[in-house]
Amino acid sequence: MATIKIPEQKVILCGEYGVGKSSIFRRFTNNTFVTATDRKSTLGLDHYSKTYRVCDRDLKLQLWDTGGMERVASITSSYYKFAEAAVLVFALDNPASFHVLSQHLLDIVTYAENAKIFLCGNKADLLSDVPQITDSEIEAFCEQCHNLITGTYKTSCKTGEGIEEMFTDIAYQLVQSNRSRLELQSMEQHGFKITPTEEIPEDSCLC
Amino acid sequence: MDEEYDAIVLGTGLKECILSGMLSVSGKKVLHVDRNKYYGGESASICPLEELFSKFGAPAPDESYGRGRDWNVDLIPKFLMANGQLVKLLIHTGVTRYLEFKSVEGSYVYKGGKISKVPVDQKEALASDLMGMFEKRRFRNFLIYVQDFQQEDPKTWKDFDPNTADMQALYDKFGLDKNTQDFTGHALALFRDDDYLKRPALETINRIKLYSDSLARYGKSPYLYPMYGLGELPQGFARLSAIYGGTYMLDKPIDEIVLGEGGRVVGVRSGTEVAKCKQVYCDPTYVPDRVRKKGRVVRCICLMDHPIANTKDALSTQIIIPQKQVGRNSDIYVSLVSYTHQVAAKGWFVAMVSTTVETDNPEIEIKPGLDLLGSIRQKFISVSDYYEPTDDGLQSQIFISQSYDATTHFETTCLDVLDIFKRGTGEEFDFSKIKHELGDEEQ
Repeated sequence: MATIKIPEQKVILCGEYGVGKSSIFRRFTNNTFVTATDRKSTLGLDHYSKTYRVCDRDLKLQLWDTGGMERVASITSSYYKFAEAAVLVFALDNPASFHVLSQHLLDIVTYAENAKIFLCGNKADLLSDVPQITDSEIEAFCEQCHNLITGTYKTSCKTGEGIEEMFTDIAYQLVQSNRSRLELQSMEQHGFKITPTEEIPEDSCLC
Repeated sequence: MDEEYDAIVLGTGLKECILSGMLSVSGKKVLHVDRNKYYGGESASICPLEELFSKFGAPAPDESYGRGRDWNVDLIPKFLMANGQLVKLLIHTGVTRYLEFKSVEGSYVYKGGKISKVPVDQKEALASDLMGMFEKRRFRNFLIYVQDFQQEDPKTWKDFDPNTADMQALYDKFGLDKNTQDFTGHALALFRDDDYLKRPALETINRIKLYSDSLARYGKSPYLYPMYGLGELPQGFARLSAIYGGTYMLDKPIDEIVLGEGGRVVGVRSGTEVAKCKQVYCDPTYVPDRVRKKGRVVRCICLMDHPIANTKDALSTQIIIPQKQVGRNSDIYVSLVSYTHQVAAKGWFVAMVSTTVETDNPEIEIKPGLDLLGSIRQKFISVSDYYEPTDDGLQSQIFISQSYDATTHFETTCLDVLDIFKRGTGEEFDFSKIKHELGDEEQ
């Protein structure tokens, strides 16, 4: 049990199936990459916390993966609850995954209205000479969203390029914007988590 | 959809979602389908408020209700017992990490036209206005007996065999009067009617223990309520199922449950697609010909701009009206949650009055509950049938859950789920199969 409570910020990954959300998650957790888009490898990915040090203070980013629910059904609204940041992910080699982002953006502002939103173009390693999605298209998208997007990044999970930089920057942005709120944050305002306690007598009881 | 699964689960109500999660965790290949566009079925929380109004055919809410999106109104009101089955399931499955809870502030019981705090320990028993002086001491002795009672230690039974003697005999042993029996059985042991008096006392003793153990966990009251409403619960279990490989499909109508040899289920058809499976788990609405009506439940959702009188302005509370107090056979339950649970706009409260229907005029039946609330801004009444399966599903391999009953907690819900799981898989759920460390690592 930690003695000092480090502020924990929930960060969620959003975007189409197959753009590499789980790969980003895997890079974040143990810096590995799996080539085959083997569904099995997504199993068990839930959320993972990592501490970042920004401006002399610790901040824990708790990254959440969708669990693959977006494949055929919609993601539960619960997924968005309590999120402080959302990363909109698209694949740089897949224009469709980019053009559908407004739908995901709508979900974020509906269910996680306080979340800061970041844009991430993944699979930068697959970029050909003629880009499928140009920088000006990305800029135009950000403008259309009334500047709801706090930052944009290009990453490659295959090479690991840009991933750590992205999360470091997200942590920085969250600290900047939440400076006062983090200080005010008290457990009183929110509810509490149920934690297992005194489970031993339960098991020894015959009832 | 055209694949083969170990189990297909129909409906995303709480029971089905828990089952889906448990099956996926146990290594089964699960397809989970709902005909609705949203998760939760009957156990969903309705958001935004406009949707609730239109669901009940009411004109849209005016601006005094604040932002519609700030509302998450449950259709079926229930609280979690802090030490109850659902909390154990949440902890063992790790689903608790998706949720935040608040303690319900007060637990009250109705007697002679007014409400009193439910006394649970010796101190409260002596201070309670529910009983006279001598009765208080008898009740106190009863509470001490229950507290010291250990099922595995017959010495603590004090010359009383709780396995054979009924609860009435135990009340008589302590000389408790009808009044005290009433609130003990209904507000502490949470029985809906008086049938328990004739059953072995052990059941009631354990229920009172559950109440006081739950109270001991977070203070104030034995009840917990999740932030953003009860609809978060099925979603949490759905995520668990998905993480363990369950496939989800919403907005998918089910046209037929396909049977094979010997009336055994072989698949589920939607339009021209057929998903093959060995088993089906579903709620009664998917199999109307395999369930029978057991009774009816009346529920009234009340939107209010004030707390309930005489509850010390509690922002959440439960009031139980024992059947005898109002000349009925089943209790009336009142529950209240508010904006502090993110289920209503700032300053608003959501109360729910519910009971098992006994007459042709259910609306009149809940009047004693409504009268306690004071002024109500908007009222939505619904009467729903309560179904149970006609068989145990072993022959057809179609396992059907019971409809949600009028109780205000999830104990019966969990018992039904664990029972279905056991029938379906032939074994008790093995909690050790869940890998706790997933994502739970603190580094």
